[in-house]
Amino acid sequence: MKRRDFLTSASALIAPMVLDGFRIKSFAQESALVRSLAKAGGLNTDRILVLIYLAGGNDGLNTVIPLEFYSEYYGLRSNIAIPESSVLKLSGNPQTGLHPSMVGMRALYDEGKLAIVNSVSYPNPDQSHYRSTDIWMTGVDSNKYATSGWAGRYLGDRFAGYPTGYPNAEMEDPLAIQIGQISTTTLLGGAQSMGVTIQDPNAFYQLIGEGNAAFDSQVPCCDAGELLSYVRQKQLLATGYASEIKIAADAGRNLATYPDASQKNELADQLKIVARLIHGGLKSKVYYVELGGFDTHAAQVGTTTTEGVHAQLLKKLSDAISAFQNDLKLQGTEDKVLGMTFSDFGRRATSNASKGTDHGIGAPMFVFGTGIKRQLVGTNPNLVSGLLPVTPTPGVSNRDIKMQIDFRRVYSDVLRDWFGINEAKGQAILYQNFNTTSLFSDTVVSIASGVWHDPSIWSSGRVPTLKDFVKIRNGHVIEAGLNVFAKELKVEPGGELKFLGDFTLNVTG
Amino acid sequence: MAYLDTYTTPLMASAAAHLLRRATFGPTQQEINDFTGKTAAQAVDLLISNASYRATPPPPIEMDPAMSDAGQPFLGQPFRDSRSYSYFNYTKLWWIGLMCEQNGRLSLLEKLASFWQNHFVVNYMSIEDYRFVYQYLQLIRSNALGNFRDFVCAMSVDPAMLVFLNGNENSKEHPNENYARELQELFTVGQKDANGANNYTEQDVKAAAQVLTGWQTQNRRVEGSTTFGASFSTSRHDTSSKTFSVKYNNTVVQGRSDETAGEQELRDLVKMLLAHPECPRFICRKLYRWYVNTNITPEIEQEVITPLASFFCSAANDFAIAPVVKKLLTSNIFFDSKNVGAIIKSPAELMIGSVRFFDQPVPDMSTKYDAFRKFTTFLSNSMNMLQLNLLSQPSVFGSLPYYQTGYSRNWINETTIGVRGSRMDCFVNPSIEIETGSKLGIDILGRLRRLQPNFTDVSGTPAITCEQVLADFLKNLFPIEVSVAQRDFLIDSIMMMKSSPRSTWTREWDAYRLAPNDTSKQNTILWRCRALYKYLLRMAEYQLF
Repeated sequence: MKRRDFLTSASALIAPMVLDGFRIKSFAQESALVRSLAKAGGLNTDRILVLIYLAGGNDGLNTVIPLEFYSEYYGLRSNIAIPESSVLKLSGNPQTGLHPSMVGMRALYDEGKLAIVNSVSYPNPDQSHYRSTDIWMTGVDSNKYATSGWAGRYLGDRFAGYPTGYPNAEMEDPLAIQIGQISTTTLLGGAQSMGVTIQDPNAFYQLIGEGNAAFDSQVPCCDAGELLSYVRQKQLLATGYASEIKIAADAGRNLATYPDASQKNELADQLKIVARLIHGGLKSKVYYVELGGFDTHAAQVGTTTTEGVHAQLLKKLSDAISAFQNDLKLQGTEDKVLGMTFSDFGRRATSNASKGTDHGIGAPMFVFGTGIKRQLVGTNPNLVSGLLPVTPTPGVSNRDIKMQIDFRRVYSDVLRDWFGINEAKGQAILYQNFNTTSLFSDTVVSIASGVWHDPSIWSSGRVPTLKDFVKIRNGHVIEAGLNVFAKELKVEPGGELKFLGDFTLNVTG
Repeated sequence: MAYLDTYTTPLMASAAAHLLRRATFGPTQQEINDFTGKTAAQAVDLLISNASYRATPPPPIEMDPAMSDAGQPFLGQPFRDSRSYSYFNYTKLWWIGLMCEQNGRLSLLEKLASFWQNHFVVNYMSIEDYRFVYQYLQLIRSNALGNFRDFVCAMSVDPAMLVFLNGNENSKEHPNENYARELQELFTVGQKDANGANNYTEQDVKAAAQVLTGWQTQNRRVEGSTTFGASFSTSRHDTSSKTFSVKYNNTVVQGRSDETAGEQELRDLVKMLLAHPECPRFICRKLYRWYVNTNITPEIEQEVITPLASFFCSAANDFAIAPVVKKLLTSNIFFDSKNVGAIIKSPAELMIGSVRFFDQPVPDMSTKYDAFRKFTTFLSNSMNMLQLNLLSQPSVFGSLPYYQTGYSRNWINETTIGVRGSRMDCFVNPSIEIETGSKLGIDILGRLRRLQPNFTDVSGTPAITCEQVLADFLKNLFPIEVSVAQRDFLIDSIMMMKSSPRSTWTREWDAYRLAPNDTSKQNTILWRCRALYKYLLRMAEYQLF
């Protein structure tokens, strides 16, 4: 090890600078804040993704309730079913409702800022928490493995070579920030996390102090040497980023009201920090927060089915997201931030006798922000014909919700349409190409040949309506056995729309 | 060199230190001395036989001096819900105390018990009854070195486990699969084999759940109750025969209906699970990751896991745990230099290891319960801050760094690296008061005085040098050697602060020898040595073991 490196790697840790020592650095280096203040408008326009992990496997069927199948819904889970009259109705969507705790998210839906992606899962689903979470975080097929996370691979592609040479003049801020304790697989790059894990920006700064270092050193062989390098690098990154994070936290302001401390809404506390850092001009591209407790095998409802553990969790989720979105709006940062929830898996459609639900398959994801172009992807789970096993053997009462949308289609849209990467990179990051869900597009495209009224042949997972631009793609033959509707229809060369009788195409133009 | 053959070289100090760092939460200097020169087999035999000394320690007590029953055991008393969290906490502190104590009988029991507690996870927050958690912990401590089959059977009907994984709600009309799944995925066979094939099917989960129907707990959180436990009810039990998949050779667990049906079918089920060829491999891999290295290469799989697993399930060994632990801890591969310093310390190895390494006395629980509580609370809180929650792991998988990609690296991130440093500062700059007038911390002056021959003979006996001081501080501190360049840096840039020549130290030290009660002379020494210690304990090298 070079002596200078040895010195810089840890000398900063021995004597943390006083709290306002950061000012010296910020002006000397023209930090993010200084530069952003110099620009008109003050804020950089880069797009940001906020990932919200609902740990334990959220019960989708009590979160987004398919009112059009209410009696089947009740039949599957009478001991935990939300009364029909309590379900929150959605504007322009009478078939679907939200859990009564989700007042804030219902308002976001009605404002057009919340999308519901129905029955999300992946082929050959796994019901182990660990393995299924790993699949969601790494973004692999369920029979494959990866040691890096999907968002980590994206950041690794965008910021080549990280962490060597970071922070630097082009990217002086962490690539990603996780508010939490133990680093998530989602943000793992090839060798280590692409994110910085902090609990609170000020505490972080006080803990780490300021440092300034380049690093290159000799270490002993094998695992011990690798671990030594790893720890030293973490020390360097921590000292390198502590002041930038604090600058952003000090410059940023929360302008909305968040749930107060008595609510113990840990998700809101985390999102509040995220909003402050975004407003303060931190250039981090991905934020990762978490709310735990969704593994509700027993007593997910209380004395009445609208209270209890799951109701409290959904209230936390909804209150936190709506306060956060409102904050972004008041800050003027709304248009550059997209949020997304995910969980281990869905829970079984059938409840168990303990007023709980066991591990299941499909469940809704929420995507929120002003960037979405579509509020529904996929249809309500069909509780008559859309359950698994399709025909239960005698004695089997447990039914699961069949997948409609592979979660990687949503990831792919986020990468391509939100972050703007090209198809080849999307394919490299997710290991294969995925059909769009049209979440960020007003055009619905065909993804397979079939019958027009089959939702699964359309990118949105829904039959097109008069609001949709429709495109039939090369190689797809779409057969219409009913009248069909679209705002505009385009048939690519090699594509075909075939009428199976005397039906009409209604186009509003 | 066959990897699993016994390491026969008498233990050098560095090898003894390696063994004790891994087999316990960390040794004292005295213990390293005591074990140096023994063979690995002698050393591990002693670590195992010493476990019996603490098989039945005095039970936890009320530790709040403001309570009228301070110092008294609470477990035999009628249940008090209002005190449940405090009593649970005392139970946890009691266990931490056992991990820390220095009684001259160093044992591997508590480290192995914490392996099993992270294996058969129960989280207090789901139980909320201290009696259940204490009984569960004692089940772990008494079976940690016993027979794995008996252990799994007992754990499956342990009251705390029945609550935590909903076994108490599992009945023939309404099977609850939670325990049946985790029993296979996490406790015995593991989810997949080395080739990625599933070790069991969803049908096996359902069948196991049927076998396990009928168990319930009694008196959990019932105010004033004096008994509690688990029992089997034939009316809730599914008496049909349960057929398992080809993964278990289509085993049929015969349905039974009498009072002993629950235990007999459980016994059959566990026998079937343990007969699965992946079961011993799964457990041996986990032990290897705990004790040797988290990185299991195909070579290690073949040369270590395979023979160790064969031994574990052999007719002669029949799932006895202690011989497997001994085989692993006395093996050539364990002492291979590649495996020294090859794991990042968990918060327990960092905190308890530091307490032990720096000879911090554990206050006697029964006579100094208030001091004991402060001492162990410091450790408990520190471990929580560093993301180790004993008896309350965040999920049924246990603490994330024991299973997630990257394994022990997950203990370290930008925040925890800072918290680790600040916790170690508490040892360097004493600030945590344990008893009136007594703080936790390293006795730097005492240590240096013992290092100095003829302390008072200033003119006749030369002062200890900077190099000697550093060598003393570094002795057995890190698992890996510090280079000459690093030593020079540590002396010139840290201890002498880039401002004074090394000779300044001897002058300052001799000045202190002449006036040992002069606080300004003491402070000069402490200023330099605290800077050095603070730096050493924040070094990456101290995070490895």
